[in-house]
Amino acid sequence: MIGTFVVARRELSGLFMAPFTWIVLLVVLFINGLLFSSFLYQTQGNVTATLSESMTGPSFWLWMIFLPALLSMRLVAEESRSGTLEYLLTAPVSDAAVVLGKFLAATGFLALLWSSSLIYAVTLDYAGGPPDWPAVIGTWFGTILVSGLFVSIGMLASTSTSTPLLAAFLSMVSCLMWIAIPFLAANIMAYLVPLLTSTAAEQAVLAERMGSVVASMDALRHFSRSFQMGVLDTAEIVFFLTWISFFLFLTARSIEARRWRG
Amino acid sequence: MIEVANLTRRYGALLAVDDLSFEIGRGEVVGFLGPNGAGKTTTIRILAGYLAATKAGRLVVAGHDVQRDSMGVRRSIGYLPESVPLYPELRVEEMMRFQGRLHRMDRQAMRVRIPEVLERVGVQDRGKQLVGTLSRGLKQRVGLAVALLPDPEVLILDEPTSGLDPIQRGEVRDLIHSLADDRTVLLSSHILAEVESVAPRVIILHEGQKVADGKPAELAASLGGGGHVAVEVMGAASAEDMSSLIGSLPGVESVATGERVGIHQSFEVRGEGDLREDIGALAMTQSWALRELSWQRPTLEQLFTRLVTGRGLDELAMPVASGPGAAPSSKPEAGPAGLSADAPVLASGLELSQGPTGPSALPLGTPGNAGSKIIYSLNPFDRGASRDLSKPVSVDAPPEAPAEGLPDGASEETES
Repeated sequence: MIGTFVVARRELSGLFMAPFTWIVLLVVLFINGLLFSSFLYQTQGNVTATLSESMTGPSFWLWMIFLPALLSMRLVAEESRSGTLEYLLTAPVSDAAVVLGKFLAATGFLALLWSSSLIYAVTLDYAGGPPDWPAVIGTWFGTILVSGLFVSIGMLASTSTSTPLLAAFLSMVSCLMWIAIPFLAANIMAYLVPLLTSTAAEQAVLAERMGSVVASMDALRHFSRSFQMGVLDTAEIVFFLTWISFFLFLTARSIEARRWRG
Repeated sequence: MIEVANLTRRYGALLAVDDLSFEIGRGEVVGFLGPNGAGKTTTIRILAGYLAATKAGRLVVAGHDVQRDSMGVRRSIGYLPESVPLYPELRVEEMMRFQGRLHRMDRQAMRVRIPEVLERVGVQDRGKQLVGTLSRGLKQRVGLAVALLPDPEVLILDEPTSGLDPIQRGEVRDLIHSLADDRTVLLSSHILAEVESVAPRVIILHEGQKVADGKPAELAASLGGGGHVAVEVMGAASAEDMSSLIGSLPGVESVATGERVGIHQSFEVRGEGDLREDIGALAMTQSWALRELSWQRPTLEQLFTRLVTGRGLDELAMPVASGPGAAPSSKPEAGPAGLSADAPVLASGLELSQGPTGPSALPLGTPGNAGSKIIYSLNPFDRGASRDLSKPVSVDAPPEAPAEGLPDGASEETES
């Protein structure tokens, strides 16, 4: 456990010593700020709608495709390339602690980035436009969970290659696919269901079953269903934590596999 | 401190370490030697817990089983990989503190230990410098400092001197020397002189197998015999005669006739102990001009090459002379003029200018065609023979000179 925090601390300090991080912070915060003010004009001062739009709108999901990938590509792939992974994996910390520490650092950085919305909310509250606080806090919490999910996917991609750029690309594609699951699934199902079934009743049942499977993986829906409403639903939290644990587990296994592959 | 028994490691079809066994006691300094790809780094990585062993009978480092108690091993060793992995964005002190935290050192212990270790490796004034801006040599020192910080019982260094200049290499070597007093050190290198100077014991690996294990001097004695006396001499007698004369000395076991360089003939004399004085005395009685008389020990490098390539040590120590003049079977040429009646004087670097087809046989336009200069050698062993500078003088083997003497002209022609 101590190992996890030691690793996370080094990752964070390493992050904040890299110019890359500050450039990302500057650009993301600047663009988010611009979008926020434009939303505020568009909604004619509707504080809650503006915050909701800026925290969960298309811009958020667009960032979510790029940022976790860029952050996680350096976590393992770059260390593997520079050789420091060998140092870390021969230090007296377990693989799990290394993976968890890195994950916490990257997710923590994204959490910090998204907390800029909280500053907007506080500012608006102070200026006389009280936002819907439960929704704001819930959404913020949700963005952290989504960030964690995408970072864990990115880390898995990062362990599968020692080329950081390829890792980032793989991670982006995976995250994009994850977001696009419902749309892709609808297409695939339209072809698949008639092939597997003969009667209309069967078709309906199969489509429904497959639909429920797809829906259970739909991060967007899980996100908007509870957190955006200001509800911290345990089921939704478990949904995200399960997927995060799954990918982190695979990441740890993938790192362990390096010890065998060499 | 380190026990390895029947260690095997495969990379797919490639067998990197093949049933390797060795033991290293407390306080020993052992050098791992082998060509690239011999399995040094793989073995070291397995010991450090970075790689898993495909199969191992016993793998114990500092009292901990590598396969069952990897954490225990990692806590008690200092490991410096070849690439010297340090985070470039951290300052030296931060890197040290990170290592300290990974090893669960408390703040107070670190405050004392970090300056101590940095001073030991000689980088106490670089604490605030970014690791990324350090030179290769300094980085190596900082890497050592990082490995030393938790005061490990066992120090494992993979190619600690690779990529360093000779001065830095010497410094790192001295550093390892000073560290070796109180801990077990296993270091690898493919530079033999390196290992020879640091480690009293070497383990030579080749294709994943241990081919030798012992003190360099002992290995040299058991593998290539002891040393030999290198003699380079110029005398009136033929190489064959000289060789048999040397061979008649008491204690001489074998005399190998070596290369002929200019007018000097070299020999390699093997026998009991150091025969230099006897050979020197012989040279004096025979009025040979001694050019070299030295005691040569086979270097680890020669042994190593021998072990790895399976070639004989003699071959490696002294390349076989190419010219027939140097081979013992061919009729040796007489140095001074007129000693041998039938054979023309063809000794390299010593030619008679009175040859019948001498300078005139040279093609037109050849430098020095105008007239041959005759100089008189000041070498007392030359007995006043003159040298023709207009002719190219071969320093290496003389031209083809069949064993039985040819008429003067014929042999001269073959040369020009």
